[in-house]
Amino acid sequence: MDPLAAIRDTFFQECEEQLAELESGLLAIEEGDHDPERINAVFRAVHSIKGGAGAFGLEALVRFAHVFETALDEMRSGGLAPEDHVLKEMLRAADLLADHVAAARGGPEVDMARSTLLAAELAALTGAPLPGEDDGEDFDIPFEVVGFNGPDLGLPDLSDFGGGGLPDLPDLGGGDAPDINALLQLADDVDGGPNTFVIRMKPTRALYGHGNETALLLRELRRLGETRITMDAAILPALDALDPAEGYAAWTVELTTSEGEDAVREVFEFVDGHCELDIRPAGDGEPVAETAPEAPVLEAVMPQPVASEGDVDVAALIRQAQAAVQDLLGNEPAKAAQPGTAAPALVAAPGRPAAPATAVSAPAATIRVDLERVDRLIDLVGELVINQAVLAQRAAESGLARQTDVAMGLDDLEQLTREIQDSVMAIRAQPVKSVFQRMPRLVREVAAAVGKDVRLVTEGENTEVDKTVIEKLSDPITHMIRNAIDHGLESAEKRVAAGKSAEGQVKLAAFHRSGRIVIEVSDDGAGINRPRVRDIAASKGLIDAAAQLSDEEIDNLIFLPGFSTASAVSDISGRGVGMDVVKRSIIALGGRISINSTPGKGSVFTMSLPLTLAVLDGMVVSAGGQTLIAPLSTIIETLQPKASEVKPIGPAAWLMSIRDSFVPLIDVGLALGYRTEPVDPANCVALLVEEGATRAALLVDAIQGQRQVVIKSLEANYRHVVGIAAATILGDGRVALILDVDAIITRRTVDTVPASFAA
Amino acid sequence: MTDLANNATGRRELTSFRIGDQEFCVDIMSVREIRGWTPATPLPHTPDFVRGVINLRGAVLPIIDLAARLGLGVTEPEARSVIIVCRINNQMVGLLVDAVSDILTVTDDLIQPTPDVGCDQVRTFVKGIMAIDGRMISLISLDRILPAAFDLEAA
Amino acid sequence: MSKTILTVDDSRTMRDMLAMALNDAGFNVVQAVDGEDGLAVLDAHSADVDVIITDINMPKLDGFGFIEGVRKDSRHRTTPILVLTTESDGSKKDRARQAGATGWIVKPFNPVKLIDAIRRVAA
Repeated sequence: MDPLAAIRDTFFQECEEQLAELESGLLAIEEGDHDPERINAVFRAVHSIKGGAGAFGLEALVRFAHVFETALDEMRSGGLAPEDHVLKEMLRAADLLADHVAAARGGPEVDMARSTLLAAELAALTGAPLPGEDDGEDFDIPFEVVGFNGPDLGLPDLSDFGGGGLPDLPDLGGGDAPDINALLQLADDVDGGPNTFVIRMKPTRALYGHGNETALLLRELRRLGETRITMDAAILPALDALDPAEGYAAWTVELTTSEGEDAVREVFEFVDGHCELDIRPAGDGEPVAETAPEAPVLEAVMPQPVASEGDVDVAALIRQAQAAVQDLLGNEPAKAAQPGTAAPALVAAPGRPAAPATAVSAPAATIRVDLERVDRLIDLVGELVINQAVLAQRAAESGLARQTDVAMGLDDLEQLTREIQDSVMAIRAQPVKSVFQRMPRLVREVAAAVGKDVRLVTEGENTEVDKTVIEKLSDPITHMIRNAIDHGLESAEKRVAAGKSAEGQVKLAAFHRSGRIVIEVSDDGAGINRPRVRDIAASKGLIDAAAQLSDEEIDNLIFLPGFSTASAVSDISGRGVGMDVVKRSIIALGGRISINSTPGKGSVFTMSLPLTLAVLDGMVVSAGGQTLIAPLSTIIETLQPKASEVKPIGPAAWLMSIRDSFVPLIDVGLALGYRTEPVDPANCVALLVEEGATRAALLVDAIQGQRQVVIKSLEANYRHVVGIAAATILGDGRVALILDVDAIITRRTVDTVPASFAA
Repeated sequence: MTDLANNATGRRELTSFRIGDQEFCVDIMSVREIRGWTPATPLPHTPDFVRGVINLRGAVLPIIDLAARLGLGVTEPEARSVIIVCRINNQMVGLLVDAVSDILTVTDDLIQPTPDVGCDQVRTFVKGIMAIDGRMISLISLDRILPAAFDLEAA
Repeated sequence: MSKTILTVDDSRTMRDMLAMALNDAGFNVVQAVDGEDGLAVLDAHSADVDVIITDINMPKLDGFGFIEGVRKDSRHRTTPILVLTTESDGSKKDRARQAGATGWIVKPFNPVKLIDAIRRVAA
């Protein structure tokens, strides 16, 4: 893969993280947390996005990010107070920034009208001028689209600077006198140009203290053209007064170059203020020496050194001085010729982010791993579980006694396999936070669309669940929240009239309960309008108009296909999805959904899902000659029906009396069409099951045992089959179907005509 | 699915097989493997041509009784029955047939359009027919082999 | 003999891009994710680090604090330090220099200019 493309992926991944940080940070500030570090963090999030975006030339994104960043900079420097209306503006800006990122990634185009408006509002907050389309001055973002071409880039090799013959320069870190002889040997015959400058420079102590070096500056000048360098050594003190960290020498350079003065000044860009500097075109009068008195100067002319005419042989003096200094330093070799012992293999940064990369120095509490590898591991462990089960079955079938070494070894193997499976599942377990994080924005948008004031409270966002489940949570939660805001919450006026706060509240909570994950979406709205729901259901023919229904049954009517009521706002209903679809998708995951509503107070939707879609604890049963699996989580107890407990009701239905209550009795073999004739219940076993608030007794031929099974999808290669949740592979290698208990039960309670539920 | 074996001159490779006394073939690019028969776990409330599912190395594979699908009657599988594992769109499906015959290489001009015999199944599944060595071989289109979704939904 | 450059930036994207450009030019790269981490890494790899490139805005310890920390280390009083800065950050450049920075690289950076800047401050 093109390495730049990989970094681009990294960039967009990072954007997602930064956007999440941005949103949660702004929300926290809105809540009242004005800790400067918090404000700094949101600034950095936008700053980071802008930085990367600039490198990839994502113009629109950069422009918007810049205005946003400016506003945040104002806030962090105290110039803009984090008031409520400001924060709301910023949250809107954060949403739009996310849109820009999505668009830059190839997603839907940004609503530019909205973007421009928001940018203007942000600029107004800070009183900053709004960057115009062609405003090049205040808003100079150099769009250097980074063009990495790998080794073909022809980047200069470090040892090659300045052309051939450049000797290694001695380390000047301590302000040692330069090796002028080395400089004199320079045989660069660089083409000169029309301009000649005379440059006089005297580095100060600060120059060296910042890691700059005179030799490097001189080298840069030499790259511009032909030079004549002279050193004014008169100010060199005696050796014992020589402070290695101080700058003493002053230099005069005559430079003939085709470049302009700007290029010359640029050489000294980094040392501005740390160096006395005078640059003027030749012939502009003598450069005024700032501090040095008139002194004989050593003239160094390339390529041949010419002996000085002066009274003092400064060159010799310097050579001596240098030799003395070298003695002092113990003959340390010039650092420029790096000894080979230096660097051990240091980790080069990952150029292929797809591979697992561990930052050398990052606190190693986590590692980044390719998701595919984890999935593959999970598959393999699943196969391991199946194989172990097959092995155990074959061993049992072959009559292996339980006390033998082999049998006990197999038991150990089973134990080990389960542990491995649990550990591997845990790798993929993720907090629901990633799904919850999208909700604040959803709430803002839906609330705005329906004109209500809504506050979202979340709880338990660190509750963990398998990755396979997490991805499927997003849609149901989204729909439930939409529903809560659109239908659950009353308008502000109605709420106030009812003595409630104008702002409605939607609460999203996640927690573990009996080995499952429970997600609750609750609102403090008006609750289900039962008379209305009844009427709608009746008018749509979903129920008999005269039917007597309990409150709970009425509430559950909203889950019926065909029930969905139009939304108050077309914007939402266009994307609207009925609660029946929500229910079906949750059931397809092996989950359940129920509703609890109190008129005037609000409603709670409770969704419960298995912690993982990969394995299931099941009861193996046979019905109609077939082996089936019933999820253990649905089974309350198993019973041996007696003829006296089975009562007919109506034309074709049966009830079973359990202690003092009656539950519907469903013949599974009949219901699934494996049998056409009913069977004598006294010869069967009944499983008392419960889904949500509904109970039923499932009649099966026999119970074969309990085991944990690996869930295999039926939809992958076929499609959804009513009454069947998924499949698994048993120890004998055969496929067994996993019952969708909810589908089996509800087919019988909603329809007024039970019997088998075939069409 | 890109036809690598077939090039611009319209050459294709086909796997031919027998059901009863009729011969059929499918494009070899769809065929993933040939297996012997193993009993399938039946799926509730499915049309008679969906025999059930089997375990294909850990994946759940539906088995379509091709004879039944083509209206030739439900197959009584025997030990020598064959399952042709095909890839149809993004799903793997097993086709139950009596025996696999040959791999044929044909050019497009050998394929004649299917005459209209007033039969739905023929119209839907038989893409064309060929005369090879005195035999008549019908080219089967797999796109609609699986039951359509609405066939299954019970109200 | 290749030089080693310590890059300090809290953005993974930026770290990756710098690494790519620097590796291509023949440098070894060591990375740190913020100023605090940078000082720790520098301490661990002190003998090897020839040049430092650092961002300014970082959590825990920002670029200025980091540079000041580096200059307090007697082994690195004069190690060249380049800061990554955006064009509009005029005052930041000054402040960085005050802290002890040697030079700067403008973001978004051009790989050629990056290597240029390194050359100007490193032998």
